Amino acid sequence: MTDDPAARKPLESDPADNDAVVCDRCGRPFERETLLALHRGHVHFDDLSGDELSAFEAAYADEDEAIRLFRLKALGTLILLYFGFLMVYAVV
Amino acid sequence: MKFPRRQVSRLSTALACAVVWLAVTAGTALAHGGSLGASSRQTVTVPTWLVLLTGGAAVGASFLLASLVTDRRLIEDVDEWRRLLPANGLTARLPVIVVRALGVVLLAVTVAVCFLGPQAPLANLGLLVVWVGWWAGFTMSTYLLGNTWPSLNPWRSLAGVLPSLDFAYPNRLGLWPAAVALLVLIWVEVVSPIADAPDVLGLTILAYTVLTLAGAVVFGADEWFGRADPVSRVFFYYGHVAPVQRDGDGLAVRLPGSGLTTLAVDTRSEVGFVVALLWGTTFDGFVSTPAWRTIVDALTPAVPLAVLYPLALAGGFAFFLSAYDAATRASKRLSGTYVTRGTLARQFAPSLLAIAAGYHLAHYLGYFISLSPALATVAAAPLNPPIEVPLLSLPGWFETVGMAAILVGHVLAIWVAHTTAYDIFPSRMQAIRSQYPYIAVMVFYTMTSLWIIAQPEVAPP
Repeated sequence: MTDDPAARKPLESDPADNDAVVCDRCGRPFERETLLALHRGHVHFDDLSGDELSAFEAAYADEDEAIRLFRLKALGTLILLYFGFLMVYAVV
Repeated sequence: MKFPRRQVSRLSTALACAVVWLAVTAGTALAHGGSLGASSRQTVTVPTWLVLLTGGAAVGASFLLASLVTDRRLIEDVDEWRRLLPANGLTARLPVIVVRALGVVLLAVTVAVCFLGPQAPLANLGLLVVWVGWWAGFTMSTYLLGNTWPSLNPWRSLAGVLPSLDFAYPNRLGLWPAAVALLVLIWVEVVSPIADAPDVLGLTILAYTVLTLAGAVVFGADEWFGRADPVSRVFFYYGHVAPVQRDGDGLAVRLPGSGLTTLAVDTRSEVGFVVALLWGTTFDGFVSTPAWRTIVDALTPAVPLAVLYPLALAGGFAFFLSAYDAATRASKRLSGTYVTRGTLARQFAPSLLAIAAGYHLAHYLGYFISLSPALATVAAAPLNPPIEVPLLSLPGWFETVGMAAILVGHVLAIWVAHTTAYDIFPSRMQAIRSQYPYIAVMVFYTMTSLWIIAQPEVAPP
């Protein structure tokens, strides 16, 4: 019944199975090693080892490609929407 | 990271501006269709289906624009922006006792005038205070400014002077009783004559008073108003949409909707209440559409109204909740995460409140403005009001303000969901994918609520 951010319940996860990689600091399971590396970089940044830091940077850079592709698709969709509606409004 | 951070931030800021621009232009585009149900039928207007499609597309496009913002630092900065209000301002120093007394006096006057005042709806101050001043006007203030109900709530002030038996409130019930009570209140509001018969309204308030005070005595005021009382809970949730938020010991101005990202929804029952609030507000508008009348006319001989309304309320609630749950299941699958479904549902639920607030504004702003002069006039002479009460008639284009309110509510909700997703997921693509199902549900809901707003209003059967 409080809205103090610190009082928000920690995220609950399904129990880790054999495929999971688990964060050694907070125990949160992830599907892939890269997700764990990103998680460590975002949540436990203050006590990263050198290896973990470079794993984080690599995982972040790895995703840039996918993000760029997504941005292109999003912009394409926006343009399609815009001109689609322009034409519909011209006809109706 | 390819771009230096500053450059990325600037790009993202430009994109964030574009979101707002899109929402505004979509609002103007709707302006042409807005007068559909109103007076100007001779002029060429945009057909309703195109208005709905445009509204849905505006919400979808807002999501696409928001999703281009992938810089966590910027998202956090936007979310955490705040200005503390000076502690010696009026808000902090206005003695709470004065506000409490004001609330109690208002309640007493309202109930008294319901019975003693003239029984014509527009001439009765009690009726006008409850529907125009409180349920339309005050509710708007809770999400447009801030939640003042905890201080003003007359029942809470009254409960404060009563003894308390301090029975333990059953934890496993959570907010479910409040959610059911909220739907029952909406049912009573729609079917009973409390919207136009002052004495019935007075009796209803007295019944609510007895129930509420009894509950507060049995379980303690904090427990009762924190969990069981639907009215306090509604204002508590709406209050998190507002710019003025409690911040430590003082008050702070934050960006509208950002109070939602720190709102803790901890139990399934709270998700249920949030969905009940959204559905209840929608149903309140839906019963005034010709479509509802057609449904009722087709079913009434077989199904009596006393059964039909509760059935529709419960059925619609179940439908809304299962649609939300389906979106959550899809979100878990698309993002590929170990985070439980229950957690995802709780984390994303606060964004629905911005939508509910937008819909409430669309539904009640015109009503509030047009009846405000009546409220002011009758308040000057409650027992002997003038025979002619002034009403403000709204221009035809005013309908578009409601449509814009619905869209702005959704744009806020999209940003809240975006912030939440970045809070949960370590990967940017995961955060984007997790939102697809919720956006689909929002697009559908936008179109539904725009359709309701565009319908001519008829009295509910």
